[in-house]
Amino acid sequence: MNLTIEQLHRSLELADYICDEELVVTVYLALKLGRPLLVEGAPGVGKTEVAKALARVLQTDLVRLQCYEGLDENRALYEWNYQRQLLKIQIARNSCNDAELEKSLFDPEYLLERPLLKAIRAGRQVVLLIDEIDKTDPEFEAFLFELLSDFQVSIPELGTLKAVHIPVVVLTSNGDRELSDGLKRRCVYLYIDYPGVEKEVRILQVKVPEAGETLVREVARAVHYIRANLDLKKQPSIAETLDWARALVALHAGALTPQNMDRTLNLLLKNRDDQQAVRTEPGLEQLLSRSREAGPGGDAASRCACGRHGA
Amino acid sequence: MDRVTRVVARVEAEGMNSLHHNLAGFIHVLRHLGLRVSVAEALDAYQALTAVDLMQKERVKAALQAVLVKDRAGRALFGLAFDRFFVTPEEKRRRQQLRRQWEEEQAIQQQQAAAELQEAVRQWHPDYQFTGEQVATFARLPSEQRRRFKEIMGRMRGNPVNDPHDLIAQVIQSSLNYWRYYLMKNRVENQPPDAVHTGREDLDAVIAGVAADFYRDPDEQIMHADMQNITGRDVDRMTALIQRLSAQLASRLSRRYRRSRLHRQVDIRRTIRRNLRYGGTPLELSYRARRAHKPRLLLICDVSASMARYARFVLQFVYGLSSAVQEIESFVFSEDLERITPFFKHGRNFTETMTGLINESRQWGQTTNLGAALQTFERLYRPLLKSDTHVLIVSDAKTIAPEKAAGLLAVVRRQAREIIWLNPVPEREWQHLPGLAAFREQAGMFECYTPAHLEDILRRQLKKI
Repeated sequence: MNLTIEQLHRSLELADYICDEELVVTVYLALKLGRPLLVEGAPGVGKTEVAKALARVLQTDLVRLQCYEGLDENRALYEWNYQRQLLKIQIARNSCNDAELEKSLFDPEYLLERPLLKAIRAGRQVVLLIDEIDKTDPEFEAFLFELLSDFQVSIPELGTLKAVHIPVVVLTSNGDRELSDGLKRRCVYLYIDYPGVEKEVRILQVKVPEAGETLVREVARAVHYIRANLDLKKQPSIAETLDWARALVALHAGALTPQNMDRTLNLLLKNRDDQQAVRTEPGLEQLLSRSREAGPGGDAASRCACGRHGA
Repeated sequence: MDRVTRVVARVEAEGMNSLHHNLAGFIHVLRHLGLRVSVAEALDAYQALTAVDLMQKERVKAALQAVLVKDRAGRALFGLAFDRFFVTPEEKRRRQQLRRQWEEEQAIQQQQAAAELQEAVRQWHPDYQFTGEQVATFARLPSEQRRRFKEIMGRMRGNPVNDPHDLIAQVIQSSLNYWRYYLMKNRVENQPPDAVHTGREDLDAVIAGVAADFYRDPDEQIMHADMQNITGRDVDRMTALIQRLSAQLASRLSRRYRRSRLHRQVDIRRTIRRNLRYGGTPLELSYRARRAHKPRLLLICDVSASMARYARFVLQFVYGLSSAVQEIESFVFSEDLERITPFFKHGRNFTETMTGLINESRQWGQTTNLGAALQTFERLYRPLLKSDTHVLIVSDAKTIAPEKAAGLLAVVRRQAREIIWLNPVPEREWQHLPGLAAFREQAGMFECYTPAHLEDILRRQLKKI
């Protein structure tokens, strides 16, 4: 990677990923030091998007491993194509000697590559996204830790396969479970918080270019006000802000009004209690006027101290 | 000259202001502020610094943060430490000077306090030796309290008893103990909170400054506030925080399944039946269903008089957990034990649940008898304990007959997987609580009087649940 920090910043923005300098420096270091990048933050702040944008910047493939409860090595690394092997045995019965048959059964053509092996065996450097690592079991995390240490894997029948091109690894976590110190120690760490008003305005301008300037600013301020002042069960993410803005554009809204907010609120808040809470206290009219009063920076008079909101 | 000698010579030639020196100093500060930085991360930090322009402060900050801080909670501390550590030499000197002045003032105050104390007991016990802690406590008292303390000593002078020496010593000891505890629980303004100092003047100035700044942030204040001192508007904020923490654990308990130790096993009978159409060749395998394993949690909460000021938040926590996760068994106790699990099963809100609970329970605000409570538990609810039950006790451990209670706790321990005890009394006070050592033999005990403690316990101690 021969990009400078400035070039990386520009490239990420060209790949439609709006980011601040802290994020760029962190990603740059992960690339420069050849370390996995561990990205944490609330759902919907753009963690997965970092990996996608990186793949676009590096003009390479994105290999994604979606983690879930009970994910094991077979599903993550490799599996032998058991059914094909059985068929081969049936076909080859009595037609060749046993030793040859056994040898041919464990040929790489019978190997089912799962994302981790695919990233290791890729012909060029790819971006390996290990999404929602906190959903896996600690045992799998330990296995992953080993794999990420030396990027090689031993397959008993084939021997050790070593990565020709070390992949760029991005791990994401919603913080559901504390990750092991060992894994964290190996990674460069990035925490993505909800964006400020200006950053969200820029994101909206890039992702929803059809929305007018007034609408974009009002949407960003209203969302910022909600995140900073209301203690909801689920804070609106960037993805939901975008959906909301698109819905408002579809209704030909040039600016926010209590009426169009009421009709589209279900795109911003995905929980009935939260919708009810916003409609009753502070109420849509109040919400709109308070978010407008908060000014361009979006700093409301009071800040929620529920501990869920970043500075 | 070998390579190591050459490097050492170069570093020494650069003196205290080399990059290595500054980085090592900074990492030292972070560790003393409670952040865990490994040697590998320190090396990464050095490498990171070689990759960015050192003249751009924000980039240096972002680079160091990326490799030295691996959780969200540490970022605020890191930011403050960075801003205080990496300053111009003049600013550094000015801060050191301020700290030196502060230390001198403290020393003078201590001397005055020692003299005042000595004077107060001179008539009865001219050689009485006050400990450093006692002098420090006395020095920190408001002037009104100091005057009252000396007055009490004066009154004793006019009322001599057979052996005034011992009596005075006891009065002083207990009175200063009380004040030490009081001052600690109600941190006086301008008193920097706990941070472990290094002994190096320049680094300690940074650590003290960071610790003081950190607790000025309103979010951090509430995170680190003693729950019993919360009043007014902060009650709602604290309630929201506790709700969030209980929701975190609840979602983990309801969603997370510990994997069975068994590996996937082929179900032979189903596999053969399924593959009859292939002439018995097992092309499609059927596996035995993996047993989903949900951990059991049993909560036992102290609602006696001494816990009254915590009770609201403790119950908020219990409510958050119990109403979200069906498998939790909850109990309250003071003089005896009562099962409160059924109160959480009706889907009622917190206020309704609590009203029902308070009206029907007889345990609120009584004295504490953990032994009696555990005896009732053993008699009536023993079957609830399984080898995979995690028992969570919330209590200040101030109980009558602690030895008996500890014995019964050992019985519970043998039947359960583990006992986790959340104690709202600060750890440094534990040595003064009778019987607590015996409880600690049976339970993992953690101080827990702020939301920050609770969050830390949930993250670290309960992560295996």
